[in-house]
Amino acid sequence: MYKRLSAVLLLLLVLLLTGCNSDERILEKLGMVQTASYDLAENDRLKTVYSVPVIDPESSERRQLLKAVTDSLKEARVLLSKQIDLRLVSGQLRTVLFGLNLAKEGLGDHIDTLLRDPSIALGVQVAIVDGEAGELLSKSFKSNKDTGTFVNHLLEKESSSNIIPPTTLYAFTRDYHDDGIDPIVPIVKDQGDRAGISGIAFFQDGRFVMKIPSKDGIIFALLRGDIKQGELSINLGERNGRKVRVMFSSMLNKRKVSVQHLGDNRFKFIIADSIQGSVLEYTGHEDLSQSKKRHELERDVAEYIRGKAQEMVKKLQQNNVDSIGIGQYVRNSLTYKAWKSLDWSKVYPGVEVECRIKVTIKDYGKYM
Amino acid sequence: MDANPQSTPMLRHILEEFDQCADLIFRSFPEIRTDIVYFPSIVDQKLFTDEILAPFAQVQLDEVEQLFQQSQFTRVTESKTVIEGILAGSAAIFHEKDIYLLNIYGPKTRDVQQSETETIISGPHDAFVESAITNISLIRQRIKSSHLKIKEYSVGEITKTSVYVLYIKDIANMKYVEELEKRIKRIEIDAINDGGMLTQFLEDSPNSVFPQFLTTERPDVAVSKLAAGRIITLIDNSPTALAAPSAFFEFFSSPDDYYERWALGTALRLLRYLALLITISFTAFYVSVTTYHYEMIPEALLRTLAESRNRVPFPPVYEALLMETMIELLREAGARLPTKIGQTIGIVGGIVIGQAAVQAGLTSNVLIIAVASSAIASFVIPSYMMSASIRLVRFGIIILAGIWGNIGIAMGVTLIVTHISSLTSLGSSYLTPVAPMVLGDWKDVFIRAPFTFLTRRPSQSQSPNPLRQIKRK
Repeated sequence: MYKRLSAVLLLLLVLLLTGCNSDERILEKLGMVQTASYDLAENDRLKTVYSVPVIDPESSERRQLLKAVTDSLKEARVLLSKQIDLRLVSGQLRTVLFGLNLAKEGLGDHIDTLLRDPSIALGVQVAIVDGEAGELLSKSFKSNKDTGTFVNHLLEKESSSNIIPPTTLYAFTRDYHDDGIDPIVPIVKDQGDRAGISGIAFFQDGRFVMKIPSKDGIIFALLRGDIKQGELSINLGERNGRKVRVMFSSMLNKRKVSVQHLGDNRFKFIIADSIQGSVLEYTGHEDLSQSKKRHELERDVAEYIRGKAQEMVKKLQQNNVDSIGIGQYVRNSLTYKAWKSLDWSKVYPGVEVECRIKVTIKDYGKYM
Repeated sequence: MDANPQSTPMLRHILEEFDQCADLIFRSFPEIRTDIVYFPSIVDQKLFTDEILAPFAQVQLDEVEQLFQQSQFTRVTESKTVIEGILAGSAAIFHEKDIYLLNIYGPKTRDVQQSETETIISGPHDAFVESAITNISLIRQRIKSSHLKIKEYSVGEITKTSVYVLYIKDIANMKYVEELEKRIKRIEIDAINDGGMLTQFLEDSPNSVFPQFLTTERPDVAVSKLAAGRIITLIDNSPTALAAPSAFFEFFSSPDDYYERWALGTALRLLRYLALLITISFTAFYVSVTTYHYEMIPEALLRTLAESRNRVPFPPVYEALLMETMIELLREAGARLPTKIGQTIGIVGGIVIGQAAVQAGLTSNVLIIAVASSAIASFVIPSYMMSASIRLVRFGIIILAGIWGNIGIAMGVTLIVTHISSLTSLGSSYLTPVAPMVLGDWKDVFIRAPFTFLTRRPSQSQSPNPLRQIKRK
């Protein structure tokens, strides 16, 4: 009997624990940071802007902005929480924007700080802003008042259609810490009346090195790996006095990379892409229902892609960023000891890379 | 009602015993030197006329002895037997020194009607009534076999209620029959009024929230349980039949599952398990997410959820408990009132709670959805007893969710699972066929496989004759 009584008493005591519960995060009392932006300020300080949604349905504002200049990322949170009547939490963080100047200085430390906070998800989108990140975030565009959310949706949509590679916090840190591959991040730019993706930024050791325009994103995606979806618009120049444009869509790519050891720390890579797709737009004269003509077009498209790809590889080698990750193939073909003794960043600019593109047109529309 | 001077001492003793029982009737037939004592309230008037009044009016004094030789007249000597016989609806006939009992029992009973608590869409609609004899007849009509055995016991010092144990010989395991018999004989109480009350004296763990004997009002369910090798207990004056041994998952099957096509039956069964999940955890999950785990809210839902919570003055756990209590009040009020008023209460209550409370800012509308759907889900569970138990348990989980969030829910569910797995029904595991795991039984527990696959009786009944159909080649 006493045993039962004490069990009941224990249960009642446990209920009292609610009273001194500091872990409570009641939804409407939270200031949930959805987008955070970081810029370089004077004297190596950090300019932080948080975008927190305004929950009150009667308010005309959809978000409020908190701004501070601090020495570190987390110090900002302490400072900013004094500006708001809600408890500032980062568990709903969706997008982190870094200014270009800060990216040039290096993001390694800041990414590390973000990772250290267990409430920040690994699926957070990371992007670079061409210009001041805080300015872009603070700006309210006509079509979309909440810029942070807009950018988040934009990045999610575009990375799902392979125009930019998936660039979550997870992907960034994985590539950052992995041997033989360098991380990439999309670039967002204020385009006057709206924010848009302007390109892809390439990083080496956490520092911004170079960028490519967003229209080349799909070429880069083909080099980087398999894709299941994608669109490419191709200008084949003039044929028989007519401008030939091809819209190649529903692209399916299988990438194969093979390494040849030429000895003396010289390597040759063959990146073989096998691309399938459908022709959505074709302004040329040829009758695509004839397989001969179709194969001709396939060759033209393949040649176009190959040229673009070779050009891009060359540019990457010149800037010494291995974002395609061919270093991983070298690493996998070597013993650990041999890889460690190899200074990949010295070898990489000199390696020979050959792109072999094979294009198959699955269908070409129903007309004619 | 005074006995005539020639009456035997036995007759006088009997009449003394029934002194001040105003409904007792004592009639004398002086020509044939016969007296009759009976309760007209529990005898069949027509039988009484045919069996007693008519023959007694015609018979001559010297033929009386011969009349009593007929088999319907039972000769008795003990006064105790006579009293019990009269109470059980017999007429006691005193002729000279001899006493005979003639059973003309025929009490007033309700007609067989539709079941109110276990309605189904297709299939037989008759339900048990209060009279155990009628109930047995409903089962006998369905099982035309001499193997259907019925044992009768009397329970209750005052009420002497008849309790019948039904089983099919060679299909039911006698181990369970003996165990049940032992438990029935152990009961010492003045009165037992209903099968639900009797269960609590027979169950392995009467203090548990969960019912361990399946209760049903439906004769077709009772018959299917008998055929599966389980034992049915009927109690006089109650429409509730008890089936044992029962497993936790049995409470989630409905006769409809077998009357519909198997794909539909399977879908319905899965739907009920989903309902169990919703009932137990939906409101609790709302509480834990809005109190602790804001990270889990999808972006698209964040604003809706936060806005709906914005004006609510209480923490989520109090808000949820308030609404759950409200729903329970509504349900209870609806159950106690006549159907027509009950409906009005339901509509008025629904509108008041659903609309006004949200507009007044007392609760969030997302919670209303959570509470309402978990209440609806709880009614999907076919067994009323089980559904009530689960609704009660839910409150505990909501409180735990308010204290520890998702960890609290996990703890609560763990506690429930541990508890259920420790339960037994007539000594057999309550969680069969999950623990002990009997994969062969799953096809009639989590899904309803086509009948060609259901060839064996459930392992829980440990039938000496486990095969229920020969597989067609």
